[in-house]
Amino acid sequence: MSAELLMMIGGTSAFFLTLYWVRSRDLREKYAVVWMGVALMVLLCGLFPKVIMIAAERAHLAYPTAVLFISLAAIYIFSFTVSVSLTRQYRRNVRLMQELAIMEQRIRALEANALKRE
Amino acid sequence: MKNLIIIPAYNEEQALPGTIAGLQSLPDGFEIVVINDGSRDRTAAVAQAAAQTSRLPVHVLNMPFNGGIGVAVQSGYLFAAKSGVYTYAIQFDADGQHDAAYIAALVAECEAKQLDLCMGSRFLKKDDGNFQSTLTRRIGIRFFCWLISLLSGVKATDPTSGFRCAGPRAWKRFSERYPDDYPEPESLFWCARNKFKIGEIPVQMHERQGGISSIRHFKTIYYMVKVSIAIIVDKLRARE
Repeated sequence: MSAELLMMIGGTSAFFLTLYWVRSRDLREKYAVVWMGVALMVLLCGLFPKVIMIAAERAHLAYPTAVLFISLAAIYIFSFTVSVSLTRQYRRNVRLMQELAIMEQRIRALEANALKRE
Repeated sequence: MKNLIIIPAYNEEQALPGTIAGLQSLPDGFEIVVINDGSRDRTAAVAQAAAQTSRLPVHVLNMPFNGGIGVAVQSGYLFAAKSGVYTYAIQFDADGQHDAAYIAALVAECEAKQLDLCMGSRFLKKDDGNFQSTLTRRIGIRFFCWLISLLSGVKATDPTSGFRCAGPRAWKRFSERYPDDYPEPESLFWCARNKFKIGEIPVQMHERQGGISSIRHFKTIYYMVKVSIAIIVDKLRARE
C-alpha cells in the first residue's frame, strides 16, 4: 500500500470517527474542529502528495530525524494540553464533590430537625 | 466559641467508633465533622451511628468518590467556612493514632500565642510510649524539616504530622486551596513562607488501631519526590 493511499484512508477514517464521536456527544464540538482540521490535512496530503513534498523542501524538513522531532514536539504539546485540561477538570470535580457532600449533610440535618418537630 | 475537629476517614469502620468515643471527654464547644472519603466499607454507617450517640455534635460528610486525604481534609475546612461559627479547626486522624487529650493543649497554645497553625509534634516528647514511626519515615521527616527550614527559615520538628490546629486565617485559606495528596508538609510550608505564625507542642502518638496507611512501598518514593517538588515550586510563587 502506498503512503498516499494510507493517508487518504487514515484522513477519511479520522474525519468520520470525529463525526461519530461528536454525534454521540463523546467529543465536544470545540475539540472536534481541531481534529477535523487534522483529518482534513492528512486527507489532502494523501490526495495531493506534492503539497507535502513542497512543504518539506521549503521547511528543510526532508530528513527523517527532523520529521520525527517535529512529530514528537506536536505529540508533546498535545499531551501537555490534555494534562492541563485534566487538572482543571479535576479541580472542578473536587469542588463539586465537596459542595455535594456538604449539601447532602445539610439536607440530612434539616430532615432530622423536621422529624423532631413532628 | 466553637471549635471544629476534622476527621478524614477512608475505610475506617474499625477504628472510627473508638476515635469518636475518645473525643467525648472534650468540653462543650467542640464539634466533630467526619469526612467519609468514599469508603468501600461501613464507615458511613458507623459514622452516622456514632453521631446519634455522641455527646458532642457530629456532622458526617459523605464524599461520593475517594478524593484522597487532602480533598477530605479540605472538605472539613470548607464545611467550617460555610458554617461560619468556628474559631479553630483541628485535624485529627480517624485511625486512633492521635490522642484527644492534646486537643485542648493545641487550641490553648494557638490562643495564648495567637498562632495561625499549631502542630502536634511526636518528636518533642521524648517518651518510650510515644510511637515515632518507622526509621525510613523518620529519615523522610528529617529531610522535610531540613527543606522547609532551608526555604522558609521556619524550624518544625514534625512537618508530616496530621495532628494540628489551624486558626481562622489558615483554615479559611485552606478551605479555598489545599494540596490534594500528602498535604501536611506542603501546607505547613505555605503558611511559613506567607509569614503565618506557626508553633508546635509535644504530643503522644499511638500505632494505628485499624485501616491501612496511604503511604506504603513505592508510594513512599512518590511521596518524597512529589512533596519536595511541590514545596520547591511553592517557593517560586508570590506571597499571598
